[in-house]
Amino acid sequence: MRCRETVIHVTGRVFALVSPLIVALLTLPAAAAEPPEIVCIQCHGSMPGRIGEPVKLWKGSIHAENGVACNACHGGDPKDAANAMSPARGFLGAPKETAIPAFCGRCHVGVMKDYLASAHGKALGKGGPTCVTCHGNHQVVKATLDLINEKSCSRCHSYERARLIRAAMQETEGMIVAIDTRIAAYKGEGTDTEGLEKGLFAVRNRFHTLFHNVDVEMVKKESAGIQGYLKKIRDQLTALDNSHKKRKLAGAGGITAMLLLALFAHLLRKTYD
Amino acid sequence: MENSGRRTFLGLCLGGLAAAAAAAAAWPVYRYLSPRSTATTAARVDIPEKDVPEGEAKFFELGGASAVLVRKPGGGLIALSAVCTHMGCIVQWEKDKLDFLCPCHGGHYTAEGAVISGPPPKPLAKLPFTVANGVITVG
Amino acid sequence: MALLKRLIDWIDVRIGAREVVAKELTGYLLPRNINTWYSMGSILLFIFAMQVATGILLLIYYVPDADKAFKSVTFIMNEVPFGWLIRLCHTVGSSLMVLVLFFHMLSVLFMNSYKSPRELNWLTGFILFTMVQGISLTGYLLPWSQLSFWATTVATNSVGAIPAVGQYLVEFLRGGKLVGPPTLGRFFALHVALIPAVIAALVGAHLFFLQRTGVSTPPFGQKETANQWKGDGYHYENHPGGIPFFPVYAFEDVRSIFIYLACFLGVVFFFPNLLFTRDAFIPANPLLTPAHIKPEWYFLANYQTLKLFPSEFLGLAVQGVAMTFLALLPFIDRGPERHPLKRPLFMVCALGGLLLWIGLGVWGHYS
Repeated sequence: MRCRETVIHVTGRVFALVSPLIVALLTLPAAAAEPPEIVCIQCHGSMPGRIGEPVKLWKGSIHAENGVACNACHGGDPKDAANAMSPARGFLGAPKETAIPAFCGRCHVGVMKDYLASAHGKALGKGGPTCVTCHGNHQVVKATLDLINEKSCSRCHSYERARLIRAAMQETEGMIVAIDTRIAAYKGEGTDTEGLEKGLFAVRNRFHTLFHNVDVEMVKKESAGIQGYLKKIRDQLTALDNSHKKRKLAGAGGITAMLLLALFAHLLRKTYD
Repeated sequence: MENSGRRTFLGLCLGGLAAAAAAAAAWPVYRYLSPRSTATTAARVDIPEKDVPEGEAKFFELGGASAVLVRKPGGGLIALSAVCTHMGCIVQWEKDKLDFLCPCHGGHYTAEGAVISGPPPKPLAKLPFTVANGVITVG
Repeated sequence: MALLKRLIDWIDVRIGAREVVAKELTGYLLPRNINTWYSMGSILLFIFAMQVATGILLLIYYVPDADKAFKSVTFIMNEVPFGWLIRLCHTVGSSLMVLVLFFHMLSVLFMNSYKSPRELNWLTGFILFTMVQGISLTGYLLPWSQLSFWATTVATNSVGAIPAVGQYLVEFLRGGKLVGPPTLGRFFALHVALIPAVIAALVGAHLFFLQRTGVSTPPFGQKETANQWKGDGYHYENHPGGIPFFPVYAFEDVRSIFIYLACFLGVVFFFPNLLFTRDAFIPANPLLTPAHIKPEWYFLANYQTLKLFPSEFLGLAVQGVAMTFLALLPFIDRGPERHPLKRPLFMVCALGGLLLWIGLGVWGHYS
């Protein structure tokens, strides 16, 4: 319990940096207290081989992107080089295979529950896959449907069932990706997309828990409801599109009026020649 | 003389169009300065009291967002927004611990909505409610 | 109509308004060969008025607090009705003000209008130019975005290259070791109070000098293009038989302003993100420097110059010398000839300087 508290405390602090998706949260006062570089990276970053590799891998991960650093998962004290890896400071090191789901599940609570209830989770410790089997460990990236592929699944079993699940999810995933792209475009233009992003994140999360069910019927049933939510977000985007079109129309009218006024002034000037 | 007629006509065109353009430009400024309407379409929801037994939570939709009613052991009622303040997921009621857990990143809230641990930056928003004749009205 | 005439009479018998109109408007004669470039000043006056008006409107919702500034700008851009329009008018207007200011200065340069007795017009104009740069720089920080935060960090940092006092100057400018909430406070005060007041006063002086000296004659289409002023006494340059400012040239001014407005609205409505990068919509984060932070287009040449020289001090010194040279140009360039084509050496230097500035800017943009 002590470890858990430490980890949650540290996670809370590190999480304050948050994903670039939800940039508004960057203004959290806690973000200002975050040290630019933690001691773990200072030492391990320059080490060769297995012991330095995780730093390089982590740098390309979604965790790095969101400011979730070493200590968020492995515990320890990222500010004190001498005691950084002391168990007294909550250092956990690498989990054993059977402990991996609980390790990741400290943050990814909902996903862990779904996983443990699934055929994958029930086979934990009996040759079944853990989180890192599919997601990788340090270079964990944003989960997409691409994680379900023949090469990966057929390491353990035939691709048959996985293919069905993937096909059932394809359409919804496509919708999510398309909406995500549109939101990103608006965000790049200064539109306040925080509400849209939060909405999409929540739907995406609900959808992604289905990945861990490995139950085709369940996926099909849930997808309909999820698509309903996605359509709501899409409607909001379409409303934005329309208002931007209206702005352009008004702008064209304004420009025409200005050019006409310039023409009148020019002709008036000419009458004095 | 022809020139002066032309001048008057062009002057009227210029003046008229300029006045119209000024009026068109004044409209956005007027709207910009107008008091903002605070009336949101706050839907009200009626829930029978018996639907929320002690130690249980009742989730429902309110004005397009998720909300939750909790009755603490002892009878105290609380109405909260069920939307996690971190990234907008819907929190879950943990009956055994009498607290809320967000499944996305493990944010914990008390039954009153205060943050215990995890990434949420703010407590869950409290919602106003009244109880009359065995019916709880939220909103 | 009769009522209007009576009102004018009422005013006229009190303040002699008709006399002022006759002297300063209808009787204010301009050279017959005057051209459109002479209306740049009117456009600039109009833009300055627009900036003041939109700036006051923005002040209603903007909050100059490091924790709230970004949110308040986002609120203006998304929640306040037409807030996006007011804000875009202000940002686009600021950039176009610098552009039109360049046109104004270049036309004065190539028509050699800065020559004596107009040294004071040039000097006040040049100080106005630096003030406009200053108001642009201070305004850039106010949205408290990643772009504004880091552009300001880079811009204020270069002052540190001044020997001995440089580091202290940077700290004084920022109100702390790094750009932070104290910087926002002082930049806000400079942007909305001090610099606008200084600009208004300088514009007044600039116009006063113009009124006292009279409008210069363009050197084009004249037989005699040498400067006639001997420096022996005050002389108002009048233009007998010229065209009256009102109504004739006023229509030319109005035409120029409407053409400007058409271009301005074109940017506001069709290229609103011309001046923004993605970093403009991310709140400032003092611990995360975004890649490819570039200053505004009109500072790109300065930025590239700083990078070119082996020492920052040298880069800064070269720019200081160039700015001083330009500010004192009418005192240095004392030849009487005003027609650019009769001054090949001047033309080569001026065009070369302009191309160098553009080249450095383009290089800075792509580097």
